[in-house]
Amino acid sequence: MHSAARAGVAFTAVAVLALTGCAAGASPDTEPTQNEVAPGFLAVSDDAFDGGGELVVQVDYDTAEASGLDPQGAATARSWMLEGLSYETLTTIDENLDVAPSLATSWETPSDTEYVFTLADDAVFSNGRAMTAADVVGSLQRLLDTPTTWTGQLGPITSIEATGDLEVTVTLSEPYAPFLAALANTPAAVLPMAEIESGEVDITTEMVGTGPLVATAHRQDEEWTFEPNEHHPDAASLGFSTLTIDIVGDEATRAAALRDGSADFAVLNSIDSAELLANAKDVTVVGQRNTDFHYLMINSLTGDEALQDQDVRFAINSAIDRDAINELAFGGSTAATGVTPAGLPDACVAADLPSAARDVAAAKAVIDEIGGLELDLVVYTDEPVLAQIAQVMQQNLAEIGVTVEIQQVDYATYSAAVYGSPADFDLALSWFAGYADPAMVTTWWNPEVAGFSAVFMKGSDKLDGLIADGYSTAPGADRAAVFENLCTLADEQSEMVPLVLRPSTLGWNTASLSPTLSSDEGYGNFLRYITQFRAS
Amino acid sequence: MAVALWSLRRIGAALLTLLVVSVLIFTSVRLMPGDYIDLVLGPLATEAQRAQAVAESGLDDPVVAQYFHWLFGVLTGDLGYSFVSNVSVSEEFAARLPVTATIALLTIVVTLLVGIPLGFLAALRSEGSAGAVGRIISALGISIPEFLLAGVVVFTVSTLGLGVSVGRFAPFAVDPGRFFGALVLPVAVLTVGCIAVVARNTRDAVMNVLVEPHVQAAVARGETPWFIVRHHVLRNAAAPILTIVGALVAVLLGGTVIVEFVFDIPGMGSYLQTALGRRDYAIVQSAVLLAAIVFIVASLLVDLLANALDPRLRLTGGSRR
Repeated sequence: MHSAARAGVAFTAVAVLALTGCAAGASPDTEPTQNEVAPGFLAVSDDAFDGGGELVVQVDYDTAEASGLDPQGAATARSWMLEGLSYETLTTIDENLDVAPSLATSWETPSDTEYVFTLADDAVFSNGRAMTAADVVGSLQRLLDTPTTWTGQLGPITSIEATGDLEVTVTLSEPYAPFLAALANTPAAVLPMAEIESGEVDITTEMVGTGPLVATAHRQDEEWTFEPNEHHPDAASLGFSTLTIDIVGDEATRAAALRDGSADFAVLNSIDSAELLANAKDVTVVGQRNTDFHYLMINSLTGDEALQDQDVRFAINSAIDRDAINELAFGGSTAATGVTPAGLPDACVAADLPSAARDVAAAKAVIDEIGGLELDLVVYTDEPVLAQIAQVMQQNLAEIGVTVEIQQVDYATYSAAVYGSPADFDLALSWFAGYADPAMVTTWWNPEVAGFSAVFMKGSDKLDGLIADGYSTAPGADRAAVFENLCTLADEQSEMVPLVLRPSTLGWNTASLSPTLSSDEGYGNFLRYITQFRAS
Repeated sequence: MAVALWSLRRIGAALLTLLVVSVLIFTSVRLMPGDYIDLVLGPLATEAQRAQAVAESGLDDPVVAQYFHWLFGVLTGDLGYSFVSNVSVSEEFAARLPVTATIALLTIVVTLLVGIPLGFLAALRSEGSAGAVGRIISALGISIPEFLLAGVVVFTVSTLGLGVSVGRFAPFAVDPGRFFGALVLPVAVLTVGCIAVVARNTRDAVMNVLVEPHVQAAVARGETPWFIVRHHVLRNAAAPILTIVGALVAVLLGGTVIVEFVFDIPGMGSYLQTALGRRDYAIVQSAVLLAAIVFIVASLLVDLLANALDPRLRLTGGSRR
């Protein structure tokens, strides 16, 4: 045999051995671990770990907003996370998804419509100017005056006033339970308003916040470089010298970078990556629970005519086996949810929903009555797990006589089909950010408020009323009862059908990084505890 | 004079083709479902945000006006701006084109250095087991898709720790070592298929020449194989080999998109792929037009060179037989 041929055979053998060897070494329990090392934490950085090195994080896609880097225009979890490295908010959320102090060190609520915030006295923007109450007032007022996606989440604010050098009072027109949680996300960041108003800072191209890091370079879809904000209280104790965020689109390449040490930390979308990395030396893969969740859209307006019938939609809903989705698409690492994300306080219990009884025979009878059904199911390719969920659903629905054709398209095509007017699909899968308060995401079940859902769902006045009640009812048993009714009604109407929570799969190289990661996350910010990361 | 006229005709046809291609590219991109506004603003955007983005992006102009605006820009060296980053497309091309060009150039050089000798070897020893093995390897090389090979290479290299990191690209000006180091694997993946194609076609071209009467006569005269190859085979086989090399440019244009994505190389291919997903029109239109220009120019050069090498082609309109 020629040497070239021998080399070829050897290469093939190595490749095959490597692939099969890894697969053989993987056990069925190689899904991302959710074991806590401390209450509420999947990982806690070790102070003894040698820090001070360059921290390299690989993520799958970059932020891309029409509003550029203006945090108030940030509409996606990736933007919240990236911009959250440079900006801080009045409140934040802790490892239990409870609201916690941040730029506001404390607050009082003299009435259920009044919030008095005491501001930190050591908050300094990265340009060296100390944050003032005027910055807080100006930032929130700017968000109200120039409506963005997040403006509606702030609730019915009637006034924002500086009531002291380090005190700001916000007054609402009526009680609004998610107010503090809404303040905890990046779009509600405190901006250097004096510089913005004078034109000294263009907030759409430059990030000037009180956060721990400063972006010093950015090439779109390629790389971010962050350096410490020397004015931040944690600047002296940071466990790394610089943070580089590489945008690496291919999942296998990110996994390879963890294996060969060229990345310290990486986002992994697929639980299959956990299996592929199971035998990799010095690599740990975890599953961070999120309040985000996957859901099914059933087009009751312009989809197949049969979908206008609530009984048909409910039959489809009740045929879906959430447990099978959890096992087959997520390796058992997630859980079923209702409209209010499972795990948040007062959230409804998915197992108590009408569809959870999963009466396949009853569902089949409904479909048989209309002589069977053929539907398309649209998913987008950027999120591979959607195709896996679609396959499970395809099998579920076949049991009741619904033939499903799965269409995998790129996101632009998906967006045109699902959100275009008229919407051009029967069934479609996507996911919502679940936020940190159970009421917040319920908004999207009101088509008049959500806007985007008006092209494929009718909603109902009763459901809209329950959504409004959820916002205005204080946390506790009363709110839990509202959510239970809300989830039940949405489940019966079956226009947007929550499926399972959407966990984050994250990996890091233990030889080069000691991170801190909470077990749960509400705003997709897996780098929330970045100031505690230590990279060698 | 005849050569000059023939060349001018070919250049004129190339320019006309480019004009037609520009219309096709513009139309195709606009016919794709979904647009930047919906994509980047997302379903939760307000109507005011949507209206502002449409106005700022110029997408509210008539489509014909948008085409002529773009074409005029291209002709004057202004390729427009990315919707997403608001960075000049020309500026991005200037940074990324050398990367892709280096990958393509290295691939072609390695391919020629390896593929042509292999093809000659296979032709001259076509009857033995070496010829059979060569044919199998060629077939394998042609058959294995680049994305699959790239995936296997990424996995193998990172698993076995061969001292080569995947990605970690650095611009040449920043770190020449890392620049070329990051290109080793992408070039290796691309060359596999290219070498197979060139070797296979070189073999066929050489074998076609070997059966020609004047070669057979040379063999009968007892001339040495090396003499026969140098004096009778090389020049006659050059034109078809050159044609294949020209076609390789098209293969490489597609191949670089894949390897740049998999190996995290910030070149034209990965830039185009991301822009395509976002419907970032200025980038997609200009990048595809550039690819068309590269392909048309390469084909033109190949034709001109082939004609210079073999004047008989002019009489047959470009085809040898």
